[in-house]
Amino acid sequence: MPGDHRRIRGPEESQPQLYAAGEGEAPAPRDPARLRPVYARAGLLSQAKGSAYLEAGGPKVLCAESGPRRAEGGERGGGSVGAGCEAPAALSGRLLCDFRRAPFSGRGRDAPPGGGEERELARALQESLEPVGRLGRYPRAQLEVSALLLGDGGSALAAPLTAAPLALADTGVETYDLVVGCSLSRAPAPAPAWLLEPTLLEEERAAAGLTVALMPVLKQVAGLLGSGEGGPTESWAEAMRLGFEGCQRLYPVLQQCSVQAAHRRGAAAPL
Amino acid sequence: TVEPLEYYRRFLKENCRPDGRELGEFRTTTVNVGSIGTADGSSLVKLGNTTVICGIKAEFGAPPTDAPDKGYVVPNVDLSPLCSWRFRSGPPGEEAQVASQFIADVIENSQIIQKEDLCISSGKLAWVLYCDLICLNHDGNILDACTFALLAALKNVQLPEVTINEETALAEVNLKKKSYLNIRTHPVATSFAVFDDTLLIVDPTEEEEHLATGTLTVVMDEEGRLCCLHKPGGSGLTGSKLQDCMSRAVTRHKEVKKLMDEVFKSMKPK
Repeated sequence: MPGDHRRIRGPEESQPQLYAAGEGEAPAPRDPARLRPVYARAGLLSQAKGSAYLEAGGPKVLCAESGPRRAEGGERGGGSVGAGCEAPAALSGRLLCDFRRAPFSGRGRDAPPGGGEERELARALQESLEPVGRLGRYPRAQLEVSALLLGDGGSALAAPLTAAPLALADTGVETYDLVVGCSLSRAPAPAPAWLLEPTLLEEERAAAGLTVALMPVLKQVAGLLGSGEGGPTESWAEAMRLGFEGCQRLYPVLQQCSVQAAHRRGAAAPL
Repeated sequence: TVEPLEYYRRFLKENCRPDGRELGEFRTTTVNVGSIGTADGSSLVKLGNTTVICGIKAEFGAPPTDAPDKGYVVPNVDLSPLCSWRFRSGPPGEEAQVASQFIADVIENSQIIQKEDLCISSGKLAWVLYCDLICLNHDGNILDACTFALLAALKNVQLPEVTINEETALAEVNLKKKSYLNIRTHPVATSFAVFDDTLLIVDPTEEEEHLATGTLTVVMDEEGRLCCLHKPGGSGLTGSKLQDCMSRAVTRHKEVKKLMDEVFKSMKPK
């Protein structure tokens, strides 16, 4: 691209193939509450402190976590002068999230990262992860989480939301619970039904979308992100209920994955 | 280790390395092709712990004005904090830029594909192959892994048939009819690390790369022709040592070619 001298230059602009190929097919009807088969594995990158790979039907996410490391910059919030109580927020650990899409993950090729959408998703990821880790136990430390989306297949935010806490737990940082993410989309009228875990086609044609992040054991909501056309409140409430059920159903797989990773690490330890 | 260099020297004296390998031995190489559905061609290569994934996306673009019958091949190596805590997120750092330029040189020098094959209509439309190599785990020897991943992914790429409609002068893509690229040569990279100005070891891990006094990468194709030699500074090498490296590279090429042929033979036609 013009001006970017750090990368190999290609043509000024290029069009994806699909622009010439015409419309795709309509999504096939299916059971609205079906979950796609999930494959999860933790502890697979040797260079990262903790890592997790999650494949949920279409989307493939790899998440790595490094730290806790000494935080850069001084303490936030200063100290309260003379008072007996300290501000706990200034001393607790910080979580930095980075979300990127591989350029080959979407339908067309995305330009190398830095776009606004990725920052928004990174922020959503951070907000959902903060309640999970016991950051108060790691004062002045910094935990860096990077999520990489290798293949998009719908539900681009739900998969990292599930993989990141798995990576966090794999590091050995104390957490209250795992987080499970689920995404839903509402098809446009005339049949506005909420579909769990939409495929890419369903997501593209959706009138509204919702991503929920639930901590299944504590039964607390870690994150909620919705967008699209408005609708009656009952419709959104029903969507949330559907999402939470989906999360609860996914939880045993992730728990098993976490336990297996711990066993593997325990077996490898006495070298 | 407190004294990593001394620790290594003790092993090197016995002609072996801490992970049990000989000086001329490569780590276990595994390759997996075609796993990313959204890419036109993809591959995943593991060299021990070093993991690189390559995804190729083909798009349409206008050919360059100074070469109207050629397409583009645009490589990009991405080293992110995911693969090693040494890297920061943001624009490509030095190591990533060096690796991207190295891959571009390999493509150009080895003529792995003829850019003329990528042209659809001279001066108007050509294929642009964006090759994105993402390192998932950096445990040394990125260049070998990237070259191998690129080769495997290029062999996996299937491009649809494109015809130019004469009346409308627009391209028509037939997604049902796809064909593989014409891969002319198979360049394979072999990297060495130089220790104490004299000792050469093959396929360095990240620790070995740090302790080395120099590195060297030799790229050979199947007819024993040298495509690319990459020696970024470091300690000098005598002519005879260089010859040894090249013969080792030729042997490595045979090993890699055998692995790739096995993989592609075992793949069921789509």
